[in-house]
Amino acid sequence: MNKRALGDRGNSLVFTLLAALFSSCLLLLFFSESFLDSFALFFINPLTNRYYLGNMIAFMVPLIVAGLGISFAFESHNFNLGGEGQIYAGSFAAVLAALALEEKPVLMIWIVSFAAAAAAGGLIGALSGILKRRLAVDELISSFLVSSIVVLLVDFCITGPFQDPSSNFQATKAIPPAATLPKLLPPSSLSTGIFAALLVSFIGKFILARTRFGFELRLCGANKDFARYAGIDEGLYALVPMLLSGALHGLAGALMVFGSYGRMLRGFSSGVGWSAIAVALIARNNPIALLPAAAFYAYLDAGSKSVMMGAGVSPEMVGIIQAVIFLFITATRLSFFRLPGSSLRSALQDRAADRRKP
Amino acid sequence: MSWLDTATGILASALAAMTPLLLAAAGGLFTELAGMLNIALEGLMLAGAFFGFAAASATGSLSLGILAGALASSAIAWLYGSATLRLKANAFITGLAANIFAPSITAVLSASWFGTKSVVALPIPEPARIFQKSFGKLPLLGGVLFSQHSLSYLSWILAAGAALLLYRSVLGTRIRATGARAEAVAAAGFKPDSYKLAAIVLSGFFCGIAGASLSLPLGAYVPNMSSGRGWIALVAIYLGNRRPGRTALACFIFALAESFSNYAQGQFGIPSEFILAIPFAVTLVALSLGTSVKSE
Repeated sequence: MNKRALGDRGNSLVFTLLAALFSSCLLLLFFSESFLDSFALFFINPLTNRYYLGNMIAFMVPLIVAGLGISFAFESHNFNLGGEGQIYAGSFAAVLAALALEEKPVLMIWIVSFAAAAAAGGLIGALSGILKRRLAVDELISSFLVSSIVVLLVDFCITGPFQDPSSNFQATKAIPPAATLPKLLPPSSLSTGIFAALLVSFIGKFILARTRFGFELRLCGANKDFARYAGIDEGLYALVPMLLSGALHGLAGALMVFGSYGRMLRGFSSGVGWSAIAVALIARNNPIALLPAAAFYAYLDAGSKSVMMGAGVSPEMVGIIQAVIFLFITATRLSFFRLPGSSLRSALQDRAADRRKP
Repeated sequence: MSWLDTATGILASALAAMTPLLLAAAGGLFTELAGMLNIALEGLMLAGAFFGFAAASATGSLSLGILAGALASSAIAWLYGSATLRLKANAFITGLAANIFAPSITAVLSASWFGTKSVVALPIPEPARIFQKSFGKLPLLGGVLFSQHSLSYLSWILAAGAALLLYRSVLGTRIRATGARAEAVAAAGFKPDSYKLAAIVLSGFFCGIAGASLSLPLGAYVPNMSSGRGWIALVAIYLGNRRPGRTALACFIFALAESFSNYAQGQFGIPSEFILAIPFAVTLVALSLGTSVKSE
């Protein structure tokens, strides 16, 4: 990769973030009654209001942990699109474990529940890895399909056999209050889970950057043929990153339940998996960069929630902003409209890109 | 005779269920043959369903509804295609953008136009069952074939038209050539990217009609009413080995599975979550079998 390409990637990130902010403003302008009021609600309220600030940081927790899961998969060139189902199944497994161990010591509940969450998510992720190795099924499609099925099955369990009979919500019973993570900024849902997320991202950085496993994983992602000639078992790296990725998604779900929700509500984590992909893309799969990326994303999310409460704008706005991010985040060239001479320049860029290819 | 009635009933609803699948697959065939992975079919269908319904309810005309759905979806496809080709972005991620954009923009517009983000049901004209009166009384297959509404027949004509366009026209030949050997197209003095963009916009056009064929016969727009059909259409193309005839056959098989599971739901009281999971499960199994057959 040469300097020019690196510069383009940096520009594209700045451009993407600006496009996201710009489209947010545009949407406020179109869909709110008073632009200035909603502007303040969107951009300032999340930072000054204790409730929104706490919820914003709380939302960073699953984004960081699941985003790390995406990074592990994407760095090894495995496309895990099953995050939605892995998060949902992971949190369900954690709740089941916590409910089964109700009377046991808190530490034991934590260990078993989080292990169950990681196992559930990991198994679902690994299934796509196995399908890829054995039957050459594209993991990009299979992980999405498996996840869609899993979400529906968990929905069935929550509203059927495991529904809390004493509640009107479509939800399971609450986990033992003692087992929930301590709250940091009441009344918001921020808990000590944020420290776990920070720790996980540093461990992830260490594994990717400083271990043999991380090195081989990145090598398989960068150039599969080269990795094979170097004697690396590439089949292993089709499976293990998917397993790890799924396990981290499961963990993210468990952290949401233990940190914020205290029970499984139907659809409570809907959209978190896709958001984690956006965050990992903004962070370019760098575990440390996940922190500011998640903060930026959670800020936009908190802003749209605040403006929804205060000015009656739809929460789907955040979906549009997310789409804008996805549209531009992988751009490797920035001349959307043809400027004079730009087609020549892009032709030269293309040729340079071709020459860079192996 | 009741089992026979059941069988013809399932078959008739399978043909109705095939309509959106066939149209979406026809659209997806353009991008597939142009050598692109187009996962945006799902979102493009949803946009077609919403804008088609909104236009039909505003004008009271089904044809204008279909046209509006096709144009709105083509516009989104153009945006998605331009980002992918001009900015050289990852087609999968931009496709994801389109799939996230469609349900969001429809929800926002639905709230602002119809005052609700859930089901919108407004009186619009019902698509005519044009052959019902003259041929609908024919026994067995006759009744099945001629009891469909006009959108189904339109989908058959359009699907055949798409195949003709791809295989018997200059544009189609160049689109396929772009997919097979983009360098050759460039060497012949044409721009491969222009033909790719044309393929994407055409896929948007067909997906828009596919979406309209979901909402217009129902007389309502339901959020996320495409419910995975775009993905199934994509898999139908893979199973059909990118050939129009086989793809249509795969669409019919998926539609048969859908209508059978609907029947099973009514008959045996199976929870709706399991029914909703069937298309994804069938797709997964078909994909596993399909690729293992291909690799042998």
